[in-house]
Amino acid sequence: MLADVITPDLFASAVRVATPLALAAIGGTICERSGVVNIALEGMMLTGAFFGVAVTYFTGSAWLGVLGAVVSGTLLSLIHAFASVTLKTDQVVSGTAINILATGVTGFLMEVIYGHPGTTDPVARLRPLLNLGNPFNGVLADIWRWIDAVFFSHTPIVYIAILLAVVGQWWMYNTTWGLRVRALGEHPRAADTVGISVVRGRYFAVLFSGAMGGLAGANLSLEQVGSFTENMTNGRGFIALAANIFGRWTPGGSYLASLLFGFADALQIKLQPLRDVIQIPPQFFLMLPYILTVIVLGGVVGRAVAPAAVGKPYEKG
Amino acid sequence: MDGALLELRGITKRFPGVLANDDVDLTLHEGEIVALLGENGAGKTTLMNVAYGLLTPEAGTILFEGKPVQIKSPRQAISLGIGMVHQHFMLVEPLTVAENIVLGQEPSRASIIDFDAARTFVKDLSDKYGLRVDPDARILDLPVGMQQRVEILKALYRGARILILDEPTAVLTPQEVRELFAVIRSLVEEGLTVAFITHKLEEVMNIADRVVVMRDGAVVGEVRPADTDQAGLARMMVGREVVFSVVKEPATRGDTVLSVQDLSVTDARGIESVRGVSFEVRGGEIVAVAGVSGNGQTELVESITGLRMPSGGRIELKGRDITRASARESIEAGVSHVPEDRLRRGLVLEFDLTENIVLGDHRKPPFATRGIMHPAEMTRVAAERVEAYDVRAPSTRVLASALSGGNQQKLILARELGRNPELLIAAQPTRGLDVGAIEFVHKEIIKERDAGKAVLLVSLELEEVQSLADRILVMFEGQIVKEFAAGEASDEDLGFYMTGGGGRKLAAGTAQEASHG
Amino acid sequence: MAERQLADTMGKISAWRGILERIAMPIISVVLAIFLGALIMLVAGFEPLPAFLALLKGSFGSPRAIGETMLRATPLLFTGLAVAYGFKAGLFNIGAEGQLFMGGLVAAYLGVVMGGVSLWINIPVILLAGMAAGAAWAFIPALLKARVGAHEVITTMMFTFIARYFVSYLVSGPLRAEGAVAQTVRIAESAVLPKLHDLLGTAPIGRAHAGFIVGLVLAVVMWLVLRYTTLGYENRAVGFNPVAAETGGISVSATMIKALCISGALAALAGVTEVLGLHYRLFDQFSAGFGFTGIAVALLAKNHPIGVIPAAILFGALSAGAGTMQLEAEVPQKVIFIIQALIIFFVAAEAIARWIVRFTRKEAIEDAG
Repeated sequence: MLADVITPDLFASAVRVATPLALAAIGGTICERSGVVNIALEGMMLTGAFFGVAVTYFTGSAWLGVLGAVVSGTLLSLIHAFASVTLKTDQVVSGTAINILATGVTGFLMEVIYGHPGTTDPVARLRPLLNLGNPFNGVLADIWRWIDAVFFSHTPIVYIAILLAVVGQWWMYNTTWGLRVRALGEHPRAADTVGISVVRGRYFAVLFSGAMGGLAGANLSLEQVGSFTENMTNGRGFIALAANIFGRWTPGGSYLASLLFGFADALQIKLQPLRDVIQIPPQFFLMLPYILTVIVLGGVVGRAVAPAAVGKPYEKG
Repeated sequence: MDGALLELRGITKRFPGVLANDDVDLTLHEGEIVALLGENGAGKTTLMNVAYGLLTPEAGTILFEGKPVQIKSPRQAISLGIGMVHQHFMLVEPLTVAENIVLGQEPSRASIIDFDAARTFVKDLSDKYGLRVDPDARILDLPVGMQQRVEILKALYRGARILILDEPTAVLTPQEVRELFAVIRSLVEEGLTVAFITHKLEEVMNIADRVVVMRDGAVVGEVRPADTDQAGLARMMVGREVVFSVVKEPATRGDTVLSVQDLSVTDARGIESVRGVSFEVRGGEIVAVAGVSGNGQTELVESITGLRMPSGGRIELKGRDITRASARESIEAGVSHVPEDRLRRGLVLEFDLTENIVLGDHRKPPFATRGIMHPAEMTRVAAERVEAYDVRAPSTRVLASALSGGNQQKLILARELGRNPELLIAAQPTRGLDVGAIEFVHKEIIKERDAGKAVLLVSLELEEVQSLADRILVMFEGQIVKEFAAGEASDEDLGFYMTGGGGRKLAAGTAQEASHG
Repeated sequence: MAERQLADTMGKISAWRGILERIAMPIISVVLAIFLGALIMLVAGFEPLPAFLALLKGSFGSPRAIGETMLRATPLLFTGLAVAYGFKAGLFNIGAEGQLFMGGLVAAYLGVVMGGVSLWINIPVILLAGMAAGAAWAFIPALLKARVGAHEVITTMMFTFIARYFVSYLVSGPLRAEGAVAQTVRIAESAVLPKLHDLLGTAPIGRAHAGFIVGLVLAVVMWLVLRYTTLGYENRAVGFNPVAAETGGISVSATMIKALCISGALAALAGVTEVLGLHYRLFDQFSAGFGFTGIAVALLAKNHPIGVIPAAILFGALSAGAGTMQLEAEVPQKVIFIIQALIIFFVAAEAIARWIVRFTRKEAIEDAG
């Protein structure tokens, strides 16, 4: 029975489920590190998911769809950047409005383009990058199945996410740009006094999070499902927020937290057929990311310290 | 040692209601240490902020190496070679020393930070100027004195030739002050110019080559420490004609109302700002705590009014222990507080006059019973008090934000005095007010005292202290360093003790503990 | 004496002026949003005028339509009040959605379990119990905010998802009714909120139920609380200036906890009334995002409890008329969301709306002159 649950597919699933969370979370990390709260990751993901499918529908190329997804997420985040950094409105309010806007725009355009609500027609998906067979026998074959499933069986965006996590983590602590972004979120005035443009830095960070949200959406619609359904993101953008907090505002931490949450989700699915024997309701696993985040915020397991200046508009002089 | 490096000519800077710099001239030469001395509000920080590009003056010119320049931002100042270390550090706490120093001008290859090069830079500067720091330590782990070094290194890294320090010793222990002075001397030996803003006479005598004294926005004199002494400096700093005097009867003292015994208070940063203070205030007298801002008066007032818990000692109000009383409990015990920050702490600007007047008594009759408020009663009482305390406003429904500064202060008096307290604490009650308002406030304070109430006045305005107080306690670095009876002290005496004159040293141990706590 | 009377009259006139000024901006924001929405429709190839006429028809064009508007405005009255009350204390209760789920849960449970009592006992008890559930659900975030400074936006948001999944679990498990659909058992008759036309004895007005009246009453009550009670006074003081409030003896942390819990209680009523007045049971998707729309309502109402009434009715109308708009003018319903988002943006960025108004006024003057 345990063997039915602990399979290579469980872990491979975890990685797959984690990908959109991680992408959005990493975007959120950079954004919040620069000092801007972004609760609109959900909306950016949804927009990316839609435009990914729509562009693929029209051009026939899933990769152009991915590009479309990224661009759409970025444009949506431009509104957030403008509202938060230039107009200095409340960042949570702006984020809320963008989520509502995204629901409206995607639903609206779906009717305009496809003529009906619900789900779009399926489009060409992005296939797994590698397709290695199983050249081994016996025990080696079993081991290879595990390794292949967990590491080599994924679609491109999954690998992009891993790459971004690794590179992002290094970038934040080893490049000039990473250093400056961190300064912006902690003490923007100090950064300003040494010549770093607070406005430019924050715009960059917000747009980056939009691009990431869009990419996350593309992963959902173009790699996992193959079509767009209304509300398909279903709160993933908010889990991404939780993953960022749980991962202590680092790209690597965001990825690992997303992996943890993804694992819980994958496990929950795997346990479904065994509901009579194992009495844990699936909702418990689905709740887990949120409960963990509250615990972290409550300071029970070490303090989760957000960037000091996050959420506060920067006033010069 | 010769050429004038930076010249500020005719700098005039205005803020709403205040002329911060009045046609000020200042010249800095290469390789000298200039102290800018004056009380709070004298205009020293404003002047230096102009030199650093944080403020733009209404009038005046700046010359650097003889050529006119425009300094419109810190970036421009830095590029000229002017560096400034502010009272509130511009350091990013979670980052390391090296990261903070090189921020914005990081040694890098293709945007990848070369940490070794950064460390080397820091080490070289460190060795050259005698500023020991650990490049890899995080700012938030460092004591304040060390953080200040990082700020100085930041300026040096960007090629500062002039270093401006704003009240650098305000947060240092005596040991750290000695170390800072050693650093300043070595900086100057390497050809730098140091200008530092201070109000501490002893330090000025200790280290400056030249002292420029400012008062009320203007330069009142320039002197070499060699040619004067602390008393002379004090005279220059505080000497002024008395604008008006208040007539008052001699005090008829009653029983002890407030008794403070060996009080110690730690401030928000964990530094002990009140160190074993003891005094009494009796009914029918005004006791003034005189001192420059930042010597513990704020924390003293906060601990008596229940806004901050003391770390040691005892406070009694008419025999009742209010040491650990909350703000509400202290109001109920009969303490009224006119706070020094009128706008932030004294009023809710978005409330109208009525709602501000009932603040603090809003749960009790006649304003409320069992949770329900009585607007008619509130308005009636408010109208009476507005009348009695001469608050000029078209009606009680006007928002507090619409009032002038003087009327806002009268509104606060209407609230605090109208409550008929046992003890009135007034902190900087006439800051920023016009003459008419000042007169009114003073009259009201005297009225309280004549009615037999106890008044604790905290002020750095010497006229105010001299004319109102029956007894004067001078507070410096958290302790009462001297007590005078009314008329006993001259302005110079007060200024002397307020700025650390008399060579009062602190027990080295206590201070060290405090700043690392 | 005459002077005082004159001053009082002047005071009253300026007070009315103040009210007019305060509602001008939200109205302008709505107008601008609708205008921009019309533009978007135009660009997408639709005709705005028939669309908006259909929208009006579907929201106010018949007694049934008006009833539908009131129906949809009902939960928004509660979430709008909830968010507004929190804002008054300076707190952002974005978790109204989760609190209303808990309210709905309590209503669905007690509505079944309490069967057999008089309606006059049953409903008030459930209302109170629902409020308690909402307050309890907001309590931990409130505590975390007061003690540790944890931002209530994140904590209440997390609790929203926990609530959703908790309800989902109960609805598909322990509380599940017989049948294919995952929902709870129908509540007893004594727990049903009567339809408005039954209550008032008028001609049928669609599906509107007594919850609407409860909402209106509560709006007035909250206004009275904010204006005339010490609770409301302290709430506002802390919201405006916590430092001065503290000096005035008010406990800032206690006030914040009370504010967030009351906010939760109000939000929960949205769930209670939806269950008792419309669905009579609980199921997974019973909320159409009322908690988040409540944010828009509160913003539009500028956090004034009485202002929540027209704001909730507006959003209710948009929701009610959207269907007709799609049916008759063939404009996708989802454009309503776009208009909602635009309203939020314009209200939040009053500065830019003011700028646009000034700009067009200047142009008008130049045209005329």
